[in-house]
Amino acid sequence: MQENHLAKWLNNELSESELAEFKNSAEYASYQKIVAVSDTLKAPDFDDEGALLAIKNKRELHDSKVVQLHPFKKFIRVAAAVAALMLGSYFYLNSLDENITTQYAESRLITLPDNSEVVLNAESNISYSEQKWDADRNISLEGEAFFKVAKGKRFTVATKNGTVTVLGTQFNVENRNGFFEVTCFEGLVSVLHNGKETKLPAGNSFMAINGKTISTEGPSANEPSWMHNESFFKSVPLKYVLDEFQRQHNIIVATDNIDTDQLYTGTFSNTDTDLALQSISIPSQIKFKFEGNKVLFYVNKQQ
Amino acid sequence: MDTTNNNNNVCEDQVFSSIFKANSRTVFNYIYYKFGNEEKAHDAVQEAFVKLWENCAKVTPAKAKSYVYTVANNMYLNVIKAEKVRLKYADKTLKTTNESPEFIMEENEFRDKLDKTLNGLPENQRTTFLLNRVDGKKYKEIAEMEGVSIKAIEKRMHLALKTLREQIDEI
Repeated sequence: MQENHLAKWLNNELSESELAEFKNSAEYASYQKIVAVSDTLKAPDFDDEGALLAIKNKRELHDSKVVQLHPFKKFIRVAAAVAALMLGSYFYLNSLDENITTQYAESRLITLPDNSEVVLNAESNISYSEQKWDADRNISLEGEAFFKVAKGKRFTVATKNGTVTVLGTQFNVENRNGFFEVTCFEGLVSVLHNGKETKLPAGNSFMAINGKTISTEGPSANEPSWMHNESFFKSVPLKYVLDEFQRQHNIIVATDNIDTDQLYTGTFSNTDTDLALQSISIPSQIKFKFEGNKVLFYVNKQQ
Repeated sequence: MDTTNNNNNVCEDQVFSSIFKANSRTVFNYIYYKFGNEEKAHDAVQEAFVKLWENCAKVTPAKAKSYVYTVANNMYLNVIKAEKVRLKYADKTLKTTNESPEFIMEENEFRDKLDKTLNGLPENQRTTFLLNRVDGKKYKEIAEMEGVSIKAIEKRMHLALKTLREQIDEI
């Protein structure tokens, strides 16, 4: 009998004579029974579908741990783009000039980067560059403003009518259509008007109407009157006075047959409209009709 | 022999699934016969196929089969082999019920004896015997799984059957 004949027998590899010999052996019946019963044995149930699903789930969990970085990377990319955009726009907006405008009947205090102060009268606008402020104190002005300049480098107020340059002082600049007035309250102000430079010591005013310099007396107070809610005029043509009234009270002014070039000296209130109308009309010997937000000045016919 | 297409990549879901379906039950039984522990067998299947997936780029479909057996085998390399094995088989009752009660009782007694002797066999003999008889694996396949020669499997088979006969006849 060959080696491992039992294994060979199970595999049908025994020769006929070997098989005959084996079948004749006493153990053959036992072997046959053992094999027959063994063949009915079954391994425990194995749910291969369930096991595959479990592995796939585990795999996804595993994979997702690796993949997780991608949406994060994407997020970082987006965040970087957004940050760049924001930074860009921040610098762009920063490089734009600051622009401050007041409406009718409004005045506003603005503190500049070096703590200089600007009080902006009604319907006025200033613009300056906050970024370049340290190197160049330069302000563009339309309308009227009072400046309290901190000591430092040259401080320039540029207007259409002229440029005012100072080192550290308090002064008022009024720049309205054709009307340009600078009043110095402290220190020394240099006014460049029509290419001519005028040094303006404290307590002096510079006035030009339609490009013509007009000598005027200095201020009586150490701050412009409008800062105390009054408008003060000394020998100023009536039309500028009426313009100022319109700005301060937000009332539309109309005139009928009035000489608006006549000079006016006086003060009107910026808060009390009735009082202001009287302050203007009585010295000028004109009449007014006040309705709603409109006022009409007309000649007193009895005269 | 191989049910998978060799041109495909194991990383492909379909290929992986077909490899799993073709081999997972045998891996399960293989480990179960060795240790008589269903839980270990389940873990081995998981471990083997998760490893296969992780290394799907490196393992060709042709090598996948031997790969999972190697992983499953290595997993319990250090497990104490002396652990007492108590195999349970799913189908214990006879299908045919028109036999006499005496016959059924005798059969059941014989099965119990067989179970006991199987549990007492050396692990490699038991595994080889059951893979052949229950799973219908050829000696060659078992040799591949176990990483030994066909002759060694024949020897195990022979010894297993011999021991079973001797011990059952003794009882």
